Amino acid sequence: MNEPGVGLVFLYALITAVATGLGAIPFAFVKSVSPRAVARANALAAGLMLGASLGLLQQGVRHGGLATFIGANLGLLFILVTERFIGDHEPQFGQVKGLDAKRMLLVMVVMTVHSFAEGVAVGVSFGAGIALATAITVALTVHNVPEGLAISAVLRPRGVSVLACAGWSIFSSLPQPLMAVPAFLLVSWFAPLLPYGLGFAAGAMVYMVLVELLPESYEAAQGREVAMIVGLTTVAMLAFQQYL
Amino acid sequence: MPLTLPELLAWSTLGALLAGLGAMLGVRHLAGGRLLGIAVGLAAGMMLGAGYASLTAGLAAAPLFTLLGGAIGVIVTRALDAGDVLSADEPAGTIGPTDAWLAVRASVLHSAGEGITIGAGAAIDASFGYFLIATFALHNLSEGAMVANVLRGAGWSGARASAVSLATRLAQPAVAAAVFLLGRAVPTALPWLLGASFGALLYLIVAELLPQSYRQAGRTAIALGFSVAAGVVALLAGRNG
Repeated sequence: MNEPGVGLVFLYALITAVATGLGAIPFAFVKSVSPRAVARANALAAGLMLGASLGLLQQGVRHGGLATFIGANLGLLFILVTERFIGDHEPQFGQVKGLDAKRMLLVMVVMTVHSFAEGVAVGVSFGAGIALATAITVALTVHNVPEGLAISAVLRPRGVSVLACAGWSIFSSLPQPLMAVPAFLLVSWFAPLLPYGLGFAAGAMVYMVLVELLPESYEAAQGREVAMIVGLTTVAMLAFQQYL
Repeated sequence: MPLTLPELLAWSTLGALLAGLGAMLGVRHLAGGRLLGIAVGLAAGMMLGAGYASLTAGLAAAPLFTLLGGAIGVIVTRALDAGDVLSADEPAGTIGPTDAWLAVRASVLHSAGEGITIGAGAAIDASFGYFLIATFALHNLSEGAMVANVLRGAGWSGARASAVSLATRLAQPAVAAAVFLLGRAVPTALPWLLGASFGALLYLIVAELLPQSYRQAGRTAIALGFSVAAGVVALLAGRNG
């Protein structure tokens, strides 16, 4: 296996962070994006993240099934505790009118904390090879665009410029490159931790799909439409990982 | 060593009969509302765990055919899906006869998808087959309760709702037997079937089970229960598969 350098790990994670800024672009042309378009984007991201998670689990199980399972539950617990700590007050897309500065800050905090787990996902996936790392990076890059869209949808109506929306969106994902490097170094130096790390990343991503992306997709799109998008993108992501 | 056809039929029919027990709980409203939502969420997680086990088995044999099978499984299940099923928590009078038959049709579709998984798994080896039969037997409890609950909400009698709920589950052993025979006769079809079962199960989870369970139990409880159930089934399948 080729040993990737720290610089490459940082670069991959930085790409996912910068992609968050792309979510602000539609607001340069329109005042708002339809909830249905956001629902479809979330379903697409859910499928890609689910496919990426299944790939992480497959790799993890090769190094230890029980360790991967424990890691997955720790990842799930991490997001659960984080959400409990912040409070279940994440604003919904489309309810931006009347949001005060505190709520805007809350959106930023929620998105930023989620980015920690995503950074860990990029970092530990390098421990299992460049192919898996590329697949995970692609999944998270696509996932981050609607996240940036959600942040911009909150900030833009408050008079924040499109450029500043993009900047704040990228800022929310900066923990990704910052967490990716130590996570990569950890699994590189302590190889037995790799299945725990892969499981952690998979568990955290699956939980995010279940607790955020899918419920938000169902709000503006039919279950059958969401299922079709999620099903096909999951299979496409698995194929991407298989043949990359 | 795979199962024999009589063994497969006997055990998977026994597993399907557990839906009757679930149906009795459903019609007596012993399992309703939030409890039923959590049970459905757990059942959905078990489905994903079983689907993951199928997918892994297929990818190990022939990745391309497994993934093509997965896409076909999603598309065909979507084509057969008649529409969104209402839950028994809808306001009184909301669930009409059409909704009741829609629930029956959806349950048959679910059973067929699960039957493909059981049949393809059993054609690989006996322990994997037994594991899948046991997983879906447990899953049938909440499926039976859910369908009976909706039928009861449509004004059906308890006995009729239970009987029909149980009958829809019998598609599981029937399809399992057909897929098992196909897999044994044409082994090259197995990766396609394993992939198709993953695609079908994933579609059904996202299209029907998750929306309903979110409505009844909230997103956090469902995300937690679903993830843990999927993880446990996938872990145990790894040991038995």
